[in-house]
Amino acid sequence: MKARAELIAGIVVVAILAAGPYLSPLIHVDLSIVSEVLVTALAVMSVNLLLGYTGLPAFGNAAYFGLGAYGAALSAKYLHVDFIGAVIIGTASALLGGLILAPFLLRRRGIYFGLLSIAFGQVFYFVAYRFTDVTGGEDGMNFPRPLVLGHYAINETTFFYVALAAFVGCLIAFRTVVRSPFGRTLVAIRQNEARVRYLGLNTDRFIFVALLISATLAGLGGALFGLLINFAYPLELDWHQSGFFVLMMILGGAGTVWGSLVGSFIYVIGKDIISTQTSYWQLYLGGLFVACVLAFPRGILGTLLARLNARPAAADSEPHG
Amino acid sequence: MDSAMMLEARGVSKFFGGVKAVDEVSIGVREGSIHAVIGPNGAGKTTFFNTLSGFYFPDSGRVTYRGSEITRLANWKRIVLGMGRTFQTPSVFAELTVRENVMLGVRARAGVAFRLRPPAGEERETLEHRVDELLGFVNLGRSKERLVAELSHGGQRLCEIAMSLSTEPSLVLLDEPMAGLAETETDRIITVIRDLRQRLGLTVLFVEHNMRVVLSLAERITVLDRGKVLAEGTPSEIAANEIVRDAYLGKEALDHV
Amino acid sequence: MTHDLAPQLFNGLVLGAFYGIVAIGLSLIMNLTGTINMAHGSFMTLAGYLAYTMVQRGMSFWVALIVAPLIVVIVGVLVERGLVRPLYKREPFYSLLMTFGLSLMAEEAFRLIWGPNGVPFSPPPALAGAAALGFMSFPTFRIFIAGVLIVAIVALALFLTRTRFGLRLRAAVQDTEMIAALGTNTQVLYAVNFGLGILLAGIAGVLAAGMLGLSPTSGNALLMPAFVTVIIGGMGSLFGSIVGGLLIGMAISLTTLFIPAASEVAMYILMAIVLLVRPRGLFGEEGIFG
Repeated sequence: MKARAELIAGIVVVAILAAGPYLSPLIHVDLSIVSEVLVTALAVMSVNLLLGYTGLPAFGNAAYFGLGAYGAALSAKYLHVDFIGAVIIGTASALLGGLILAPFLLRRRGIYFGLLSIAFGQVFYFVAYRFTDVTGGEDGMNFPRPLVLGHYAINETTFFYVALAAFVGCLIAFRTVVRSPFGRTLVAIRQNEARVRYLGLNTDRFIFVALLISATLAGLGGALFGLLINFAYPLELDWHQSGFFVLMMILGGAGTVWGSLVGSFIYVIGKDIISTQTSYWQLYLGGLFVACVLAFPRGILGTLLARLNARPAAADSEPHG
Repeated sequence: MDSAMMLEARGVSKFFGGVKAVDEVSIGVREGSIHAVIGPNGAGKTTFFNTLSGFYFPDSGRVTYRGSEITRLANWKRIVLGMGRTFQTPSVFAELTVRENVMLGVRARAGVAFRLRPPAGEERETLEHRVDELLGFVNLGRSKERLVAELSHGGQRLCEIAMSLSTEPSLVLLDEPMAGLAETETDRIITVIRDLRQRLGLTVLFVEHNMRVVLSLAERITVLDRGKVLAEGTPSEIAANEIVRDAYLGKEALDHV
Repeated sequence: MTHDLAPQLFNGLVLGAFYGIVAIGLSLIMNLTGTINMAHGSFMTLAGYLAYTMVQRGMSFWVALIVAPLIVVIVGVLVERGLVRPLYKREPFYSLLMTFGLSLMAEEAFRLIWGPNGVPFSPPPALAGAAALGFMSFPTFRIFIAGVLIVAIVALALFLTRTRFGLRLRAAVQDTEMIAALGTNTQVLYAVNFGLGILLAGIAGVLAAGMLGLSPTSGNALLMPAFVTVIIGGMGSLFGSIVGGLLIGMAISLTTLFIPAASEVAMYILMAIVLLVRPRGLFGEEGIFG
């Protein structure tokens, strides 16, 4: 029953999204903004896996997002790879970053994990910031969007469908992961890691793999984001950006499969609307943090699902949402 | 080293800051026995237990399991070797159902916890069957689909014992299994602990406060006081021991027996 | 280049003392309540701006140095009571998000009130100029800063080890429930502890404004080195924070001298090396996942 309801809801959402190129002019939203919602949702998903499901305060995922963007940008600009190559190299850069940081992050839990994530993530920010000759430093770097196989140009509509395909693919993969025995064990780690270890499981190994999946997801989101705006800039890597991803995750609903899209949608569209109306976007954004934490700690989808089921989604044996 | 020894500790010490919580404690747990560690509050029982189960490592001394050294072995590896443990406050996944709690351990044991594809078909049935078996053993079958948070304290403890058994241990360490339980629940747990040895042939080491429980269950008792071993022996020896009576049992405890 | 070495080293020590004192404030709050206070930098900036305004209005620097941090402490305690305390029962990342949101709002507020660019805030004439130290000369204000920071650290150490309240605070960090059982008012404890952390941030904020400049983001610039300080020193160790801060200060000033391009990354490299050798930081305690 629940699975069917989710399937129907999912198909409806994807169908509405697929009509984006026709719908977005009607609501006066630029199609590229909707693309941004989709690729940002991938980064939010990456935070969700670590924080929402595994309980690790992932406050450094912007590093992987930014590595994805810079990986795509640098390979397109200097190696002249095609579109697909740029996506792959961007994603792989983030995975590599994850491989480098994981041994450090793995050692600690709780707020200390958060602290280490923030601090180590910042390394990449300073590298991008300092290597002005290559990265353009503080100003960031422009690059032309590469052609697919060196032949086919990608316009905004095509890009939108690329982003949609990436999102749907990642969503299905994400859902498979969190509902698998592996994903159930991650949720158990969030609730009581010591107990999981006393079931004879090396929790470090689970967290290591979760970190790599997370880095890859964020990297793919970042690579597509870079290719969307044809630009890479250091603030993509900054801890502020990591905090925004966490905010989006909470907004949508921690530990829910679709929450990432909801959070990303509210944040990206909200930012687009508010920042054209006022120059004090940051004031509203800060207020959103405060309000969300005080009034909506389980997020929009999390609260909704809790109403429907009276059980937290991530803790469920057959998760929905 | 005695081949019949399941678990041995030699001169184990553990410091916290400047305080020596466990001071040169030695103990030998025989295969197939029920062994109790008792002592007044703050005697270092739980700390000692934690060094045996690898919750943290001792600052000095050696711990061996079936003759091989495990002093600084990661806690999860001890489980793989065949140890299991419970905690003083039942350590369970409160947001999951009883079945899901035990299933986590069953999956871990079957080596499928790391998989991305949920077990299906025959494999799934084997796992479910194993869960039913374990829940039957602790008599929780009827509560299978309930959330653990909804169970009584005693029910949660039974669930935790079932979870510890799911990894198929040869030795189980129970940290104050009666803590916070009502009298009727205590009897249920006593039966289960007896069954652990009689029906499953396990070795049991438990920390306990309740003297009635200790004297009726244990074959061997180690008394700790202020981090040191005060005495060791059979229940009748311990009950007759003057030093033990003075230090710990003296007042009300033995009157209950 | 070597003739620059001595002043540069001293510079590094002063900078390191800043990091240390900010890190101690962060640590105090983190240890007792599990809150990573992302608004710590904002409190520093606020103290700097308040002192700046007081001096602008004709008050003396000395008054501002004392009054501005105290005002910030009041603001801090109000924030703790009203916004952060309700979150202690929840997972710790909620309080992190809360203070992060507050810091975003504060930054924008500073911009609105004091303008988007930095404002000049110079030390009083008595502290201007340079003092000859025999083998080198060094800005008087920085020597003064070093003195104030040392006094603050010593005073804090005495408070925590010699007073009843300080001892309770340290005991509470070990075991909050036990302290509540002993009848200590944990609510007051939380407020005083938070206030203490903010007081250190406030003092550092006024001094940093005079040495490193004052802008809406100037306090936040010290936040990241302070995080790294906590990691290097080992969470929970105040002594570690001081050692960690000084190490980072030296690392930064030496790399600025020899490899300027690596100056920001230097402390992260130091952090990685320390963690490889000692996963819990220099003075960190053992835990169950070691």
